[in-house]
Amino acid sequence: MKSNKVVSKFFIYILLIAVTITMIFPFLWMLSSSIKFDRDIFIFPIQWIPDQPVWSNFIDIWTRIPLATFIYNTAKITLIVTLLQLTTSSFAAYAFSKLEFKGRNLLFVAYIATIAVPWQAYMVPQFIMMRSLGLNNTHLAIILLQAFSAFGVFMMRQFYQGIPDSLIEAARMDGMNDYQIYYRIMLPLSKPALSTLTIFTFVNTWNDFLGPLLYLTRDELKTIQIGLRMFITQYSAEYGLIMAASVVVLIPVLVVFLSLQRHFVQGVAAIGVKG
Amino acid sequence: MNNKKRFLAGVGLLSAGLMLGACGNGGSDDAEADGNVTLTWSLWDTESTVYYEPLVEAFEAEHDGVTVELLDLGSTDYQTVLGTQLSGGDNKIDIVTVKDIPGYSSLTNRNLLEPLSERAQDVDLDQYAGTVEQITIDDEFYAVPMRNDFYVLYYNKSIFDDAGVEYPQNGMTYEDYDQLMRDVSEKATESRGEKIYGGHYHVWRSQVQLYGILDGENTLVSEDYSFLDPIYEMAVSQQEDEIVQDYASLKTSNLHYSAAFYQDNVATMLMGTWFIPTLQEAISSGESQEFDWGIAKMPIIDGAEEGSTGGTMTSLGVSSNSQNKDLAYEFVEFVTGEEGAQVIADTGTIPAIQSDEVINKITSIEGFPEDEQSKEALETTNVYLELPLDENASEVETILNESHDNIMTYSTEISDGLKNASEQVSALKE
Amino acid sequence: METQMKRDSLKKRKLKERLTAYSFIAPNFIGFAIFTLGPIFFAIMLAFHQWDGSNDMTFIGLDNFREMFGDDRVKDALWNTIVYVLATVPLTLACALFLATLLNSKIKGRNIFRTIAFFPYVASLVAVAAVWNMIFHPVNGPINEILRMIGILDPPRWAADSEWAMFTLVLFSVWKQMGYYMVIFLAGLQGVSEELYEAANLDGAGRWGKFWHVTLPQLRPVTFFVLMILTINSFKVYDFVYMITQAGPGTSTLVLVYEIYNTAFLNWNLGYSSAISMLLLGLVLIVTLVQFLGEKKFTNQ
Repeated sequence: MKSNKVVSKFFIYILLIAVTITMIFPFLWMLSSSIKFDRDIFIFPIQWIPDQPVWSNFIDIWTRIPLATFIYNTAKITLIVTLLQLTTSSFAAYAFSKLEFKGRNLLFVAYIATIAVPWQAYMVPQFIMMRSLGLNNTHLAIILLQAFSAFGVFMMRQFYQGIPDSLIEAARMDGMNDYQIYYRIMLPLSKPALSTLTIFTFVNTWNDFLGPLLYLTRDELKTIQIGLRMFITQYSAEYGLIMAASVVVLIPVLVVFLSLQRHFVQGVAAIGVKG
Repeated sequence: MNNKKRFLAGVGLLSAGLMLGACGNGGSDDAEADGNVTLTWSLWDTESTVYYEPLVEAFEAEHDGVTVELLDLGSTDYQTVLGTQLSGGDNKIDIVTVKDIPGYSSLTNRNLLEPLSERAQDVDLDQYAGTVEQITIDDEFYAVPMRNDFYVLYYNKSIFDDAGVEYPQNGMTYEDYDQLMRDVSEKATESRGEKIYGGHYHVWRSQVQLYGILDGENTLVSEDYSFLDPIYEMAVSQQEDEIVQDYASLKTSNLHYSAAFYQDNVATMLMGTWFIPTLQEAISSGESQEFDWGIAKMPIIDGAEEGSTGGTMTSLGVSSNSQNKDLAYEFVEFVTGEEGAQVIADTGTIPAIQSDEVINKITSIEGFPEDEQSKEALETTNVYLELPLDENASEVETILNESHDNIMTYSTEISDGLKNASEQVSALKE
Repeated sequence: METQMKRDSLKKRKLKERLTAYSFIAPNFIGFAIFTLGPIFFAIMLAFHQWDGSNDMTFIGLDNFREMFGDDRVKDALWNTIVYVLATVPLTLACALFLATLLNSKIKGRNIFRTIAFFPYVASLVAVAAVWNMIFHPVNGPINEILRMIGILDPPRWAADSEWAMFTLVLFSVWKQMGYYMVIFLAGLQGVSEELYEAANLDGAGRWGKFWHVTLPQLRPVTFFVLMILTINSFKVYDFVYMITQAGPGTSTLVLVYEIYNTAFLNWNLGYSSAISMLLLGLVLIVTLVQFLGEKKFTNQ
C-alpha cells in the first residue's frame, strides 16, 4: 500500500516536471533572446546561453523608446479600468442576481450576447463615436472602452448566485437596505471573486493591443504593447529589444498574480454553483 | 459631412446625450486666431527615418507661422490606423503619406485624397520617370511620389571570392542568375565547409513574382497568371535543392531578411534600395558580420530591357478633409520637388526624382561599394510597381499572397495555384 | 380599504425595489450601452448597408448576405472556424481539467507549479508565438529533431503545411489558454467537499472511480461556465491565427474573424464585414443556446 503511494507520487512529479518544462519554455527563450543580437535570435540550433550576452539590450530599451512613460501610462489605465470594472460589475451583478425587476432577463441576455460579437465588427463605428466625443488620443477612451465589459458582470453574477438568498432575506429583516447588504455582506463575501476579476482584467488591459493602437497615436500617451511595436520598423525588426522589454513588463503581471493567487483560487470556486 | 450626420443620427437613436456631445464638438478647431497654422503629416518610423526633420525644418523656414507636426502611426499597422483615423470625414490630418498601391487605391476609393492634377499643372511630371502615370486614374492623380525605391541584387563579395566564382553581372537573365546561385552555393559550401546559400528569397510574394512582369507584357492584376509559371518552377526547384532557404522555415521563424544577409552565409539577395544605408550601418556597427558587398541590377527575363526592375513607391497626398489644402499641397510640392529630393538624398535614401546629381550623392556616401558596376546598378530603365493600380488592389494583394504562400509551402501545384489565383481575380472583375 | 392600502404598499415596495435595482445597474449599464451596445447596434444596421467608412452609406437590403452565401472565402472561413472550435474546446477543457486535478494534489511547491502553468496565458503573445514557431519549426525545430531521432524520418511541417496548420494552431491555442481555464477548475475543485471523497473511499472506489463519481458531478456548474466562455472565445479566435499562421498556408487556417478584420481594415467594406459578423453572432448564439438547454436538461435529470 505504501509503496503504491510512493509510486503514484513519483508519477505525479514526473508529470509535473513535464508540464513545467512545456510551460516555462517560452520564458527561458525570452530571457535568452533578450541578451542576444537580433541576427542570432531566429537561428538554429537554438542557443540557450549566448556566447556574447548583449546585456546592453536591457539599458537600450529605456533610452530607445520612452519605456518608462509607456509603463506609467499602462499602469494608470490598467489600475483605473480594474477599479471601475470591479465596482460597476459587482454593483450591477447584485441587481441581476438578487433583485427582481422588469426586463432583468432581457437585459442580461443582451449583456451575454455582446460577448459573442467580435470587436473587429464594431471597432470603426465605435472609434468615430469616441472621436466625436473628443476622446481620440486620450486615455479616457481606452478606459471607457475597457471598463464596462459584459464579462465582468456575467462572472460576478455567477458568483452571487452561489450566495444563498436566505442570507439576504435575514439581512433585510434586520432592517438593512440593499446598499448596506451589498456593502456589508456581498462585498466581503465576494472578496475572492473580486480578486479573480482583478487578475483577469489586469492581464487583459495590460496586454491590450488593438485599442491603444487605434486611439493613442501620440508618443506621450502610448502603452507598452504599442511601444513594443516601435522596435519593428519598416526595414528592421529588433527582436532582442522586444524580448528584453517583454521580460521587464511581465514582472508587474506576475507580481499581481502571485499576490492575489490565494484569493483567486477560492474566488472562482463559487462561480456558477447554482448555474 | 452627410455620412457623419447619418452616423450621428443612427447613434442618436440610442443615446440623446451622445448626440449632444457629438454636435458640441462639430465646430472647426484649426482656425487659429493668431494666423498660425499647424499642418499634420501622417507617417511612420519617425525615429529611424532621418529625413523627416530636415524636410520639415526647410519648409518651416520658408513659411512663417507654419508648423508641421509629425503624426507617427507606426509602420506595421500604418494602413489600418490611417484608414481608421481618416474615417468619418475627420480633418485632423492634412498631409498623408501613402505607403503602397493597395493603400493608395483604398484611400482613393474612399475619396479621402484630394485630386492634384490641377494644382500640379506647373510641375514637370516627367522627372518622376513615369511613376505618376502608374498612379493615375481617369486622368487624375491623388498623390505625388516622394521616394522611389527599386530592387537591386545585393551580393556578398567575400563568399564569391572564397568560391572562386565571378560576381553577378548587370544585365543577367533570371536563368543566368539561377545558374549562378547554384554554382556559388556549391563551391562556397565546399570551400568554407559550412552551408552557403546561393540566394535568398524573403517571404514577400514580390520576391518571385516581380521577375514575371519585367518585360512589360503582363501585370500582376491579371486574369491569367500562367506567365508566372516558369519563374515559380525555377524558384521552387532552387528551394527543393536547398540553394535558397526554405520559404516555410523563414516564414515561421520570423527571420528578417537583413538578419539572413548579416549571417554571411547568403551569397545574393534581391532587395530594395532602402537596404543600402541599413547595410552600411549594420556592418560598421557590428550588427552584421563583416564582409565586402556589392550590388548589381535585378536579373531580367527574356524580352525585358536591361535596367528593368521592380519598385515600390512612397508618395504624398493631401487629405480631402483637410482645412488647409493649399498649404498642405505646398508642402507636398516642396517635399516631392527638386529641393526635397536633395534633402532626402543627403541621408542616403533614394528620392522619387532621380537626377544624376542625386545618384552621385548616394554612390559617394561612405561605405557604398566602390566598383563601377555597383554604381551602374542604380541606373534604371523601367520600374514596375509591385502591384499596378486597380480598384480591387487590396483584394488582389490578398489573393496573390495566398497563392504565393500555397505554392512555396508545396500546398498546391504551381499551375493549380496560379489557376486558382486567376479565377479569383476574374471573379472580382465581374 | 385595508387591502387597498396593502396593495399600495406592495406596489410601492415593488417600485422601490425596481428603482434600487436600476440604480445598481446604472453605473455599468450607462457605460456599457454607450460604448458597447450602441456601436453594436450600429454594426447590425451596417450589415444592411454598403459603407467604406467615409463616403455616404447606401442601404442595400440583404445584398451583403446574398453575396456572403456565394463567397468561397467566407465558406472556407466558416468551415475552418467550426473545425477549430470542435477541436479546441474539448481539448482545452480536458487538458485544463487534467492539469487542475494534478495541481490539486497535496504536493510540495504547488503554488509555484500553478503559477508556471498560468504562465503561457499572461506572457506577451508576440514572445510566446515566436518561441512556439521556433520549436515547431518545419526543418530545424527541436520537435522535429526529436521525431527524426525516434525514427520518423519525414516529420510534419506543422504550420507550414496546409494539412497540419490547423492542428498546429489548435495545439498552440490549447497550450496558451489551458492555464487560464485550469485556474477556474482548480477553484472549482476547492469546493468539492472532503466528505464525499471519504465516503467514496469507504466504498472502495479507486482514483478513477472517485474522479468519475465525485469530482466530475461536483464540477458541473464550473464546467458549464468554462464551456460557455471557451466556446465563445474560440469562435472569435483572431490573434492566435494572426501570430501563428496568418491564415495560411493559402487559406487553410482562415477563420471568420480574420476575414472580418481583413474585409473591414484592408478592403474597407464595412457593411460586408458586419454581415459576416452577424453570421458569426448567429452561430455563437445557437451553439450557446444549445449548451444552455443541454445543461438545464442535464441538471434536471
